[in-house]
Amino acid sequence: MSVDAQILHALRTSNSGSISGADLSQKLGISRAAIWSRIEELRELGYDIEASPHQGYRLLSAPDVLHADDLGWRLEENQKIGRDIRVFEQTTSTNDVIEKLARDGVKEGAVVFAEAQTAGRGRLGRTWMSPARKGLWFSVLLRPSLTPQAATQLTVASAAALRNAIESHTGLKAEIKWPNDILISGKKVAGILTELSAELDRIKYILVGVGVDVNLNPSDFPPELRTQATSLKIELGKPIVRVELAAAILRELDREYARILAGEFSAVADEWEKHCTTIGQRLVIHLGDRRICGRAESLGEDGALLLRTDHGHLERIVAGDVRIEK
Amino acid sequence: MDIKDIKAIIDLMRKNSVSEFELEKQDFKIRLKRGTNGGGTPTSLEEMPVVGYQQSVLLSGGALSAQPPQLVINEVDIKSPMIGTFYRAPSPESGSYVEVGTEVTPDTVVCIIEAMKVMNEIKAEAKGVITQVMVENAKPVEFGQPLFKIRPN
Repeated sequence: MSVDAQILHALRTSNSGSISGADLSQKLGISRAAIWSRIEELRELGYDIEASPHQGYRLLSAPDVLHADDLGWRLEENQKIGRDIRVFEQTTSTNDVIEKLARDGVKEGAVVFAEAQTAGRGRLGRTWMSPARKGLWFSVLLRPSLTPQAATQLTVASAAALRNAIESHTGLKAEIKWPNDILISGKKVAGILTELSAELDRIKYILVGVGVDVNLNPSDFPPELRTQATSLKIELGKPIVRVELAAAILRELDREYARILAGEFSAVADEWEKHCTTIGQRLVIHLGDRRICGRAESLGEDGALLLRTDHGHLERIVAGDVRIEK
Repeated sequence: MDIKDIKAIIDLMRKNSVSEFELEKQDFKIRLKRGTNGGGTPTSLEEMPVVGYQQSVLLSGGALSAQPPQLVINEVDIKSPMIGTFYRAPSPESGSYVEVGTEVTPDTVVCIIEAMKVMNEIKAEAKGVITQVMVENAKPVEFGQPLFKIRPN
């Protein structure tokens, strides 16, 4: 834990709500002057820290900024995902940054957050709107020893993890739209785009890009998206401290990833399937120039969507634009 | 192992009158055979898939003839490492990554295979020219299915 994180931790966990400079100095093993200078820096970042001669330091409020250390200490001691966290003020896309890290040989578990993305991306060149400080825009680097074929297991695992974290953290009922969109009251609140680099028989690395619309207001969405997309703040009626949600998501991702590595894919898939509300719905799927209509009948063992088409045959869907007909 | 190594082995075989040579390691296997009479039957050489492509080389010309054996290099397949949907372009609006005639290097992205929102950028893994696009855009592909042919250079 860095000095900043230790100071914040001490301020948050002190019984009286405040802690003296002398106590901090003793606890951290650095001089009171050094403590003072770190506190000044934290204030610059927006942490409202009160200093009084008798009581010492007191944390009045923390800004809603992503701070790598402040995030890191909220994770489990031995978790893989998040052991190396980097936060950028702005970047093109966090997947671009993490891809460079992957090529440079950075270990798996590294996570790159950006407060804002200028070129956040979705499937097939679509843009992902990522306004500053209103969402969680991040990418995770993984290097599982799986075959490229098995990479789709991570779609299932990451969707299950993201859904669990959002639902347990906010109390809102979250569902999965096949394969990995997270919906609240039928509107999209989070999405995942996974990029794979592989040889024929071996995964080199996987980049899991996640976007969560946390504190966006209705006016942040373009009018054409307002009927299809929402934010946690809109659904909950109040803003969320993003760093806490980020920690909850990274903990869940780590847990589900560990289950995949332990060969427990079917257990993860069961959990995912339980919350996948696409089953039973009428769908229109666009795949290149092709348009397939039918009813989602079930999920295959590997997570593929089995669609009973209007012509009566069962089609196995692994890709395409899935629209639910209401 | 590349064509240069293979040529070197053939030269050594000729110099030392070796008629057969076989090497196997991991998922790589090569077998070279020389005709015993001048201009004998063409011999074949096979290479198993190593990293996503397969190469086949035909040798012609007898080893005892004055002419060195000629190498006729056939095309190399780029294969799909997974079941999924094949996309020739990064987005519906943009142009294809490659066309027939495009010069590629091992790192050139030639297409994307998508499976359950996992986007897999497939690289050429060889230097050469694209001679054939074997799958239509947005069509399903199987594991190991050939997607493109490349003529290495």
